[in-house]
Amino acid sequence: MLVRDVMKSPVLAVGPEVTLEDAYKLLLERGIRHLPVVEEGRLVGIITDRDIRLATSHLNPKGPCPGCTQVGEVMTREVVTAHPLDPVEEAARVMRERKIGCLPVLEDGALVGIVTGIDLLDALLRLTGVTEPSGRLEVRLPDRPGELARLTGFLAGRGVNIHSLLSYPEGEEAVRAVVRVNTLETHLLADALRREGFAVLWPPKKHGDLPGGVPPLRLRARPSLQPRPPGDAHLPPGGPRGVAGAP
Amino acid sequence: MLTSLLEALGVWRAPLSPPEASREEVLTVHSERLVKRVEAASRGELYPDLEHYGLGTGDTPVFPGMDRAARFLVGGTLEGARRILSGERRVLQLGGGLHHAQYDRASGFCVYNDLSVAIRHLTRSGLRVAYLDIDVHHGDGVQWIHYEEKEVLTLSLHESGRYLFPGTGHVHEMGRGEGLGKKLNLPLEPFTEDASYLEVFEALVPWALKAFRPDVLVVQAGADAHHLDPLADLLLTTRAYERLFRLVLEYAEAYAGGRVLVTLGGGYSLDGAVRVWALLYHLFHGLPLPERLPEGWRKGWEGRLGKPLTPTLHDPEGAYPEIPRRGEIEKRNRLTLQRLTELVAPHLLH
Repeated sequence: MLVRDVMKSPVLAVGPEVTLEDAYKLLLERGIRHLPVVEEGRLVGIITDRDIRLATSHLNPKGPCPGCTQVGEVMTREVVTAHPLDPVEEAARVMRERKIGCLPVLEDGALVGIVTGIDLLDALLRLTGVTEPSGRLEVRLPDRPGELARLTGFLAGRGVNIHSLLSYPEGEEAVRAVVRVNTLETHLLADALRREGFAVLWPPKKHGDLPGGVPPLRLRARPSLQPRPPGDAHLPPGGPRGVAGAP
Repeated sequence: MLTSLLEALGVWRAPLSPPEASREEVLTVHSERLVKRVEAASRGELYPDLEHYGLGTGDTPVFPGMDRAARFLVGGTLEGARRILSGERRVLQLGGGLHHAQYDRASGFCVYNDLSVAIRHLTRSGLRVAYLDIDVHHGDGVQWIHYEEKEVLTLSLHESGRYLFPGTGHVHEMGRGEGLGKKLNLPLEPFTEDASYLEVFEALVPWALKAFRPDVLVVQAGADAHHLDPLADLLLTTRAYERLFRLVLEYAEAYAGGRVLVTLGGGYSLDGAVRVWALLYHLFHGLPLPERLPEGWRKGWEGRLGKPLTPTLHDPEGAYPEIPRRGEIEKRNRLTLQRLTELVAPHLLH
């Protein structure tokens, strides 16, 4: 996913001669927080709602004068920018390291968009969220070549389509894979994966640690309860499976 | 299996055999694009983009004659809606409930959405419809099809979509435009048991129905929240289902002029689903509940399935191991209910 896939475009910009009062009105009207400052087609600064509020505060030693102060006097001149083809995670890293809320996006020196923290949250939602009806599996894999392929190969072998796949390191020796699959039968899939030796974390086994029991149908007596009538207690594990009706 | 059980119990009444739904009726809730592809697949002609429409997948494979088979299921539920309109008060459709099918895609074992076709038929005749979905999976297809409609209230209680298919059904999905506040979702914790389920059900459902004042109640009575079900993680017993079905009929009397149309739904443990739906059938027709199931019937099916079946209509006591997190699960379900009611109250109560 690239910056151009998540950035807002076109982007609203102002000139440095605009007053803080006018700039603030613009922010309020549009419901935005950041304004790139452009002079003769070139990005020369950036101003945020916070910059304006600080500059016009009564605590400001020079005193507030929103009508007579220009954006050019208050804006940040050293602007950190992004390129449309930067990966989103790089934009996120820069914003996190510099503790800033947005990156104007430049292409050949021209301002073509802006990416903010909200856009990165949208990106996170697209990466992790549900966009297709699906079930979700979480599997812990040993951190070595071929493990993810073993997992996806197993799913492919069962004709299961993967809608999304995320993985992240977990401790020193493992990788957590979060897979969204296009099936109602996530449980049966999880049990099949367990039988293949995969460490499936979610969904959990329904009835605790029945040995390989799919589905877990053993009707177990609880010793604390009064004895049941004869005929109930003998049901073995592994009961009926299949579709009794339409979903 | 269900009909043979009802026959063995001596309560089976010959059902109606409604006409299959027409192409035009299906098109009241589905796109021409989808229907064309299903029809073609029925003839063995496969469009290359089938998967985009949720067809030819593991859950909704294509097969010869599938268009007609799917329209047949729609026809039953639609006939139920017609009968309600012509003055009948209660209709039980022993099938249907294909709540995952969406406007433009088949999904999760569902090709055409019989519930939505019936609901649309009812709303086009001027009725306000409350749809209640107790299938363990989110009733996503019905919700999305009527998402912007103010005359359809959808109420789905299901296991949280964090892990379970289809992944949606969050409290924040509450309708759009005129439908805002008319789509209610109560996602429950995995391993929710009878007491907690009934607690939130009895708090939410009458509250919503009272506020919405429907003319008719349409119920998708999936049996897959039963503890034996292999696809999901709720742990209802037949005792909870008995209470649920009694409440549904009571609520229909109290809030929907007694008009109720019930379909079946998901249910993937034969042992569980057959007993849940037998319960439904008895309560629906006001019949006394049998305690034991007919021996001959049970032996016959045990032989066919190669598996033992529960000999009584109700589950035995202590049918599954105790759940250590019970207290926490109950607390979280209560919190979800509170969030839901706070979110929708401003839109639903006015």
